[in-house]
Amino acid sequence: MKLIKKILRTIKSDRLLLAGCIGICILLFIVVAAPLITEYDAKLFGPDALVAPGDPAHPLGTNHLGQDIWSMLIYGTRTSLMVAVVASFISALLGIIIGGIAGFFGGWADRIISELINVFLMIPTLFLVLLIVAMFGSSILNIMIVIGLTSWPSNAKLMRAQALSLRERTFVKSAQAMGENRRQILMKYIIPNGVFPVVANTTVGMANAILLEASLSFLGLGDPTVISWGQMVYDGKQYLTSAWWIAAFGGVAICLTLLIFYMTGDGLNHVLNPKHGKAGE
Amino acid sequence: MSEQKKKAYIDIQDVSVFYPVKGGKLFAQGEKPIVKAVNGISLQMEKGEVLGLIGESGCGKSTLGRILVRLEEPTRGDVLIDGVSTHELIRKDPKKFRRMVQIVFQNPFDTFTPRDTIEKIMMRPLKIHNIGKDDQERHKMCVESLEAGGLRPAEDILRRYPHELSGGQLQRISILRSMLLNPTFIIADEPVSMLDVSVRADIINMLLELSREKNASVVFISHDIALTRYISDRIAVMYLGRIVEYGTADQVVKNPQHPYTQALISNCASIDPDEESAAIDIQGEPPTPINPGPGCFFAERCPHATQECLKKYPEYRDLGDGHIAACMHIGK
Repeated sequence: MKLIKKILRTIKSDRLLLAGCIGICILLFIVVAAPLITEYDAKLFGPDALVAPGDPAHPLGTNHLGQDIWSMLIYGTRTSLMVAVVASFISALLGIIIGGIAGFFGGWADRIISELINVFLMIPTLFLVLLIVAMFGSSILNIMIVIGLTSWPSNAKLMRAQALSLRERTFVKSAQAMGENRRQILMKYIIPNGVFPVVANTTVGMANAILLEASLSFLGLGDPTVISWGQMVYDGKQYLTSAWWIAAFGGVAICLTLLIFYMTGDGLNHVLNPKHGKAGE
Repeated sequence: MSEQKKKAYIDIQDVSVFYPVKGGKLFAQGEKPIVKAVNGISLQMEKGEVLGLIGESGCGKSTLGRILVRLEEPTRGDVLIDGVSTHELIRKDPKKFRRMVQIVFQNPFDTFTPRDTIEKIMMRPLKIHNIGKDDQERHKMCVESLEAGGLRPAEDILRRYPHELSGGQLQRISILRSMLLNPTFIIADEPVSMLDVSVRADIINMLLELSREKNASVVFISHDIALTRYISDRIAVMYLGRIVEYGTADQVVKNPQHPYTQALISNCASIDPDEESAAIDIQGEPPTPINPGPGCFFAERCPHATQECLKKYPEYRDLGDGHIAACMHIGK
């Protein structure tokens, strides 16, 4: 209870974080309650194609195949959040472990991993993702894994810096003197104490993952079997002059969601900054 | 000398640590600069002996302490405990070595991970070293240990996080936790310099009492000469990685022979207020430990330095009763 109160107080202390957290709550509500707030299945090809917004049956209109735009938006949230969570989870996990190993062990391991990070940072991510999707197919699972595998270097860099400074701290030396081996020290002392900047970065990483998935879909390389906002923009592109609503609402949804994640990330960064009172503890 | 070596419980043999200087020029010609942090230290200690190690900041006393617990590898030399090389011991059975040798750190506020409760912090070493049958027994051991150390109510303290306790409490816990492993060799690296004056005596007494109970040898690293004299059997004075004077506490403090020790002690006000002594001024900064020598390291600041001092590092001179000092001018 004490912890929950403390977290709530921390969230309230920063407006960006508060706004971001409320936004994420709304997104989560949409994900869970999707069937309750929509009338049609998003994949249902209805009889009325290209209905303009404002229609009593379809408040946001329909696309060229008669799919309800509102339903697509709502169900698209599921896809986007799933991509965001799975991709950034993979990215955070890889980043924390690889960065932790590099920073804590130092020496050759650090040199090799640092160079690897630099190489990955230099390669344009979108190009790499395109290449892999072209090679292995564009199922949503592939896309999530690929985004995760290409976005870990920034997390690894943060974690490495944390590990570098943490390994000189007395409590790490003390654990060593107590007979803990290096794996135990990495898992029990370095990672739990150094993970917060990575968490903040991961929130921003979620926004980037959503954007990357939307970009892929927009290029026609998304998973055609799922409803996604990028796909909506891609579909609406050719009707832009006659039925603007197909692409526009998808675009707006992407913008708002990115905004929410960026606000949360910035807020977290600010709150976890050691200069911001004692909230980082 | 050789007979004495065999008898000594802890035998530090010619231990040195050299660090290469970072950021040197690429393709630098000639000899690379090396920091000689600890430079050929040999000491012997009996079981249950308390050795005070004093010197100014940066003289390598903490580095020596860290080598003794093997948080750092010596570049040269070895430490024998009861005739067994720690170099081999840590390779063969690192846990046994960790149980034998323990360290108490200077900063109690940073000795424990901020994310765990005191209970987790105290139980972990017990678990790692398989002390106690199960968690219940280990919990009981922790409670008993805390209560014996004057930390009551123990159950309440076990539930707390490190940042909820005071420095004195944390340092007690640090000492008690080390003692749970029954070490025979304890290094105390300025254990009270960050604490309030009011709790210092209690902490020191506790450390000494516990080590006396287990007949453990203690290396007490400090720059507080008065305190070191009070608690130590023998004192070693370090300067720039070397021991310049070594003897019983009284020999070193009352009858210092090396000019550096003389200056250090004359500047220490709290030893005896009645004693009339003029403080000896030392000129200049301590020289860097980067490639020191070839002469006496103290020669540049020494009031008695002669041309001879700059040529060769002085040998240790025996002043009787095990009191030794490294200065050419002694006895002349």
